[in-house]
Amino acid sequence: MEPLIHIENIMKIYNPGENAVHALDGISLDIATGEFVAIIGQSGSGKSTLMNILGCLDVPTSGTYILSGQDVSNLDDNALSEIRNQQIGFIFQGFNLIPNLTALENVELPLIYRNVPTSERHECAVEALKIVGLEHRMRHKPSELSGGQQQRVAIARAIAAKPPVILADEPTGNLDSSSTREIMKILHNLHDSGRTVVLITHDVQIAENAKRVVRIMDGKIESDKTKEEGALSCQNKQ
Amino acid sequence: MSQFLEYIKMALFNILSNKVRSLLTMLGIVIGISSVILIMSLGNGAKESITEQLSTVGNGQVAIVSMGSERITIEDLEYIQANVEGVQAYLVTTMSEGTITTPKGTFTGYAYGCNENNYLFEQYSTLSNGHYFTKEDYDAGRMVCYIAEDDAIKLFGNTDVIGMPIDIEIQGKRLSYTIIGLTSYVTESNSLISYDYENAPIYLNVPLSTLDQRLGLNATQTLGYTDATLMLASNINTQDTCNQIIRILDSRHNCLGEDQFIFQSFNDILATINVVINMITLFIALVAAISLFVGGIGVMNIMLVSVTERTREIGIRKALGAKTRSIMLQFLLESGFITMVGGILGILIGLGGAYVISSIISMAMPEYAFTPSISPIVILITTLFSSSVGLFFGIYPARKAAKLSPIEALRRM
Ligand SMILES: Nc1ncnc2c1ncn2[C@@H]1O[C@H](COP(=O)(O)OP(=O)(O)OP(=O)(O)O)[C@@H](O)[C@H]1O
Ligand SMILES: [Mg+2]
Repeated sequence: MEPLIHIENIMKIYNPGENAVHALDGISLDIATGEFVAIIGQSGSGKSTLMNILGCLDVPTSGTYILSGQDVSNLDDNALSEIRNQQIGFIFQGFNLIPNLTALENVELPLIYRNVPTSERHECAVEALKIVGLEHRMRHKPSELSGGQQQRVAIARAIAAKPPVILADEPTGNLDSSSTREIMKILHNLHDSGRTVVLITHDVQIAENAKRVVRIMDGKIESDKTKEEGALSCQNKQ
Repeated sequence: MSQFLEYIKMALFNILSNKVRSLLTMLGIVIGISSVILIMSLGNGAKESITEQLSTVGNGQVAIVSMGSERITIEDLEYIQANVEGVQAYLVTTMSEGTITTPKGTFTGYAYGCNENNYLFEQYSTLSNGHYFTKEDYDAGRMVCYIAEDDAIKLFGNTDVIGMPIDIEIQGKRLSYTIIGLTSYVTESNSLISYDYENAPIYLNVPLSTLDQRLGLNATQTLGYTDATLMLASNINTQDTCNQIIRILDSRHNCLGEDQFIFQSFNDILATINVVINMITLFIALVAAISLFVGGIGVMNIMLVSVTERTREIGIRKALGAKTRSIMLQFLLESGFITMVGGILGILIGLGGAYVISSIISMAMPEYAFTPSISPIVILITTLFSSSVGLFFGIYPARKAAKLSPIEALRRM
C-alpha cells in the first residue's frame, strides 16, 4: 500500500550563502496510515524544521514530499494553505489558540476555512470537544482554561476537521506531568481510533508512547525503530 | 456566500472587541465626513433659500440688451408694447453721479433717470407720501423727482420734504428739481436682500427726459439705449415672447441674424449666482475632503498596528488553512466597516450640526434664516466614498497581513 507520507532526500538550508544552516540534510521517511510515530532528537537537530515541512507550513529546499499521493514539495502559498486545511491537524507546544475566541470558536476555525456550513461546523466542533472531554467548557476563552485544558482544545481543533495526519510538536513541553499523561492518553486514543499521529519530542519517556521512534541528529535520520524490536528500552539502558 | 457572512461576523467581532481603538480610528473619518456633509447641506440650504427669494425679485422682468452698435429706441419699445402680447410695461434708465446740495449740506448721490414706469419695476419700495411723476411730466421734461424716506432724512433731517427744491450738479451742470414724492422700503421678513443699509447711496428718481435734454448724456432718447427692461405678464411663455421681441428688434434695425440684441431673464442671473455658491461649497468641501484623507491615513496606521499585534493570530489562521485572500478579506472588511460606520456617524453628526447651526442663525439673525438641505445622492456618495477610503487605506495593511508566512508569524511570540 502506498504510504500516507513519503519524503525522499529532503534538504532544508537556511540562509544559503556563507553561513548556511543545513537544518535538514537528506531525510527520507515513509509513514503509513494509522501509524503512531515519534520523532526525537536533541535541540537544534531539525525536528521542528521537519515538522514544518511535513505540515506544509514550509517547503523543502530540495527533495520530494508526497502526501496522500500528491506531490506537495513545490506548491505555492495558497495551495499549501489548502493542503494544511484538508490534510493536517496541528498541535503546537504553545497551544496557539486565538485568545479572544471561545474554545468552541477556536475549534471551528479550520472548518470555517474549509467552508463547512454553520450547523454542521458546530456539530463537528462539539464532537471534537467531547473527544477531549471539554464540551462543558466550550464557551470559555483560552485565558479561562488551564494549560492542559488549552492543549486539549488545541487537540480538538486539530481533529475537528478529521484530517488524515495529526502533527504534534512538543505538545506537552509546557505542561506538568498529570496534564502530560492526559494529553498522551488522548493521543493514544486517537491512534487507537485509526488516526495517524506524528509526535515530535525531545523526551524519550514520551516517545515511548509511540510504536515507532525516529531519531534525528544534525538534520539526518540516525535511527528508525519500531517497538517490537525493543530498540528504545535497550538504548535507554545503555 | 455563507462564508462571506462568516468573515463579516469576524470583522464585526474584532471591531467590537477593541471598542475604544475602533472609535478612535473612526474619529478621523467621522470628522471628515461630517464636515463634508455639514458644508454641503449648509451650502445647499443657503442656495435654495437665495434661489427662492431671488425668484420673486425678477418675476416677469426681462432685460433686452444691445450687444452691438444698434440702440434700442423708445419707438422700438412703444411698438413692442403695442404689438407683442403680454408686454405690460417697459423701463429705460440711466444713472449719473453728481453732487447734491440742500440746506443741510452737500452730498454725493445719483440722478437715477427713468421713465414713468419705474415704480412698476421697483419691488422693494412703495409710495409713502406725494406721488410718482407721470407720463405727462416725463414727456414735458418737468423738473420733478421722488426720493426715499431714508434719503430725505439724510438730506434734510426730516421727511417733511414734499415741495422742497433740491439741486444736483452733474458734470458741471446744475439741475434744480422739486420733490413730489416719498417712498419707503418694504423690508420683507426673511429676505436676504436689503436696500436699506447704512452708507447706501442717495438716489434722486427723475424723469429720464430731463437728464437727456439738459445733459446730452450718452444714452439719449433720439440715439436710443443699450438696454431696456420689459415687464411681462405671468401667463405667457417668457422664452417665446422674448424670441419674438428679438425678431422685431432685428427687423426694425435691419440686422436679422447679426445677434445685435439679446435678452436676459432673471433666471440667467440666478443660474450665475448658483454657480458661484456651488463653487464656494465645492471648494470648502474639497478642503474637508482633505481631512477625510488624513482620516484614511489614520485608519491605515491603526490597521498596521493591528496587523503587527495580531501577527500570531494571522499565523494560526494561516496554519489552519486560511488563504491569502481570506486574511485580506478579513482585514479589508474590518477597515471597511470602521470607515463605513464612521461615515454613517459622520453623516448624522454633519446633518445634526447643520441643523444646529441653522437654528442658531435663525435665532440670532432671523433675516438670514434658512433650512439646511442635502440630497440623498450626496449621502450615498459620501457613504460609498468613506467605505472606499477604508478599503483603499486598508489594502496595504491587509496585504501585509496576508503575505505573512505562517512559520514566521507563529515564531513571533
Ligand atoms: N528561520 C531560520 N533561519 C535560520 N536558521 C534556522 C531557522 N529555523 C531553524 N534554524 C536552524 O535550523 C536548525 C534546526 O532547527 P529546529 O528548530 O528544527 O530544531 P529543533 O530540533 O526543533 O530544536 P528544539 O528541540 O530546540 O525545538 C537549528 O540549528 C536552527 O538554528
Ligand atoms: Mg523545535
